[in-house]
Amino acid sequence: MSARTTKAMLAEDLSRAGRTGSAVEACVVALEDDPNDPIAHALLAELLLREDFYDRAIAEATEAIECDPSCAPAYLVLGLGYDRRGGMWDQSVLVWHELAEVVPDLVTAHVQLGEAFSAASFEGEAIEAWTRALELDPTEPRAMYDLAVAALRREGPATALPGFRRAGALDPSQDELFLDIVGVSGSERVPPVDELPDDRDARLEAAAVYAAREDFLGATEVVRKVLDRGAEDARALALAAYAYVKQEADNEAMACALRALQIAPDDAAALYCLGVVYAKRPGLYRQAARAWATLAYAVPEHPMPHVLLAEALVGLQRYARAREAYLVAVRLDPACVRARFGLAAVYVTEGRHAEASWEIRRAAYYDTKRKDLFWRLFDDYVGGGEE
Amino acid sequence: MTEAVESLYRSFVDQDPAGAITVIESARAGGLDREQLFAEVFVPATAMLGLAWAESRIDEMTFTQAAVVAEQVLSFVTPQAAAADTGITVVVACIEGELHAVTRNVVVAALQEAGHRVIDLGVDVGPGTMLEKLEETSASILIVVAEQMGTAQAVRRVVDLLDGVGRRDVVVLVGGGPFAADSRLARSVGANGVVRGAESALTVVARVIRDRLGGEE
Repeated sequence: MSARTTKAMLAEDLSRAGRTGSAVEACVVALEDDPNDPIAHALLAELLLREDFYDRAIAEATEAIECDPSCAPAYLVLGLGYDRRGGMWDQSVLVWHELAEVVPDLVTAHVQLGEAFSAASFEGEAIEAWTRALELDPTEPRAMYDLAVAALRREGPATALPGFRRAGALDPSQDELFLDIVGVSGSERVPPVDELPDDRDARLEAAAVYAAREDFLGATEVVRKVLDRGAEDARALALAAYAYVKQEADNEAMACALRALQIAPDDAAALYCLGVVYAKRPGLYRQAARAWATLAYAVPEHPMPHVLLAEALVGLQRYARAREAYLVAVRLDPACVRARFGLAAVYVTEGRHAEASWEIRRAAYYDTKRKDLFWRLFDDYVGGGEE
Repeated sequence: MTEAVESLYRSFVDQDPAGAITVIESARAGGLDREQLFAEVFVPATAMLGLAWAESRIDEMTFTQAAVVAEQVLSFVTPQAAAADTGITVVVACIEGELHAVTRNVVVAALQEAGHRVIDLGVDVGPGTMLEKLEETSASILIVVAEQMGTAQAVRRVVDLLDGVGRRDVVVLVGGGPFAADSRLARSVGANGVVRGAESALTVVARVIRDRLGGEE
């Protein structure tokens, strides 16, 4: 824990604003004033990592830790630096272990520790670390993906697939696909069910928002009102299907989605619900693949249908085609952790272990970036200093 | 077919699982396989259920109970996840001195899933044990995995042993990093082909079955 100097604060503000060059200069000035300022070293390390200067990032993060061994954000940069540089797994294991000790409830530290152990071929220790991560947060998809890839290496695709399905179910981006399709984010302001205007579009938008907020009874009630006015409404049926899917009432969801697709064969929302139901049943991977392929055609710019298609193809042992679908997803969204892990799994089935490890490292990089982990640790560290 | 679909739908709504299964059995007796039963009978009947719910011809409770009956029928119409038994036996092993099992694990699982009878001998297996198992199971395909240059060269001993005992009919496939990187290495140890991973294993074994064993893929 350390108090910020004015110059370090300027560097921090510039860094948060994405002004990397100016932020680096500000860090250098701050370090000229106080060469033992762990905050300036940690900030500089993060900026260097951001620009892929791994060795210099490692050096600055090491300085920060030498100045203050409790500087958690510096451990994060150091660990990520080692991982991305590659070939330094023993150091990486030590760093993630240290971070897990400095911030014991930091799930990502345990996930990263497991990945470092795995890269160093300590599979047993890796599995222990991922299990610990899931004990801290049972909804941590990366630990689940890591365990699935480990199962793939040990016992092959059939054993690994349920793990990938569980990890996928924890992944919120799949629901985001549905919400994108129906055009809501869940944050929209909508009146309660009884105060909704007597208008189909307003009702369906409200139903989608209710569903996004997991008020499935509300969503179904509004959909029912729309269907009572006209039962031939594919979008209303698709929303009903989604509400059923989320309540694990798969056959009701299938009935609604199939009816919706009879009315509108290309309705993306209904295709999504049907794909989800089919993908849960190993015997229906072929049907799931068809649903996802049609959905990928309907919303080609979205990575998730390609990921879902790839997962169905893995279930069908069509690894080469699955690889192509995953690659499309990664092209559309390089930060798609689910696609990166899927691609890693396919590479394992092809004996391309170096490429598999690289994909997992990229997934780690994007995952920590998406979670804004550096700034979370930084704020906790600096906040602790101000108390 | 329309009659079967309507009967199945009625069984759903009447909460009559026995009736539903009878409909499926009779459609199966008419020559439909599981894939067709699912696509041509179950799917349209389930869509009818969706239509009835949308039109409020059935209430929420009936819809839920009909879905329970549909669940009971689903296992009769869902295509089987694993392929049917091909009757082809494949022996898989990591060569003596080889303890890296990832490629072997993946290949074994893929072949099993595809319906082949896989005899997995594990890691660090000597040529004698491989021959013994080939004799015992009458298998004609052997996949030998080696992940290091040193162990890869040792596959030659397996081929020499098979030649020595007059088992040139056995198709020896090799897998692992050194063989994937350099296919000349496979030829130099006398192997018939290279398995580069799960999908490659399925393709190569299917080709062997077609070309060498006179079977269908």
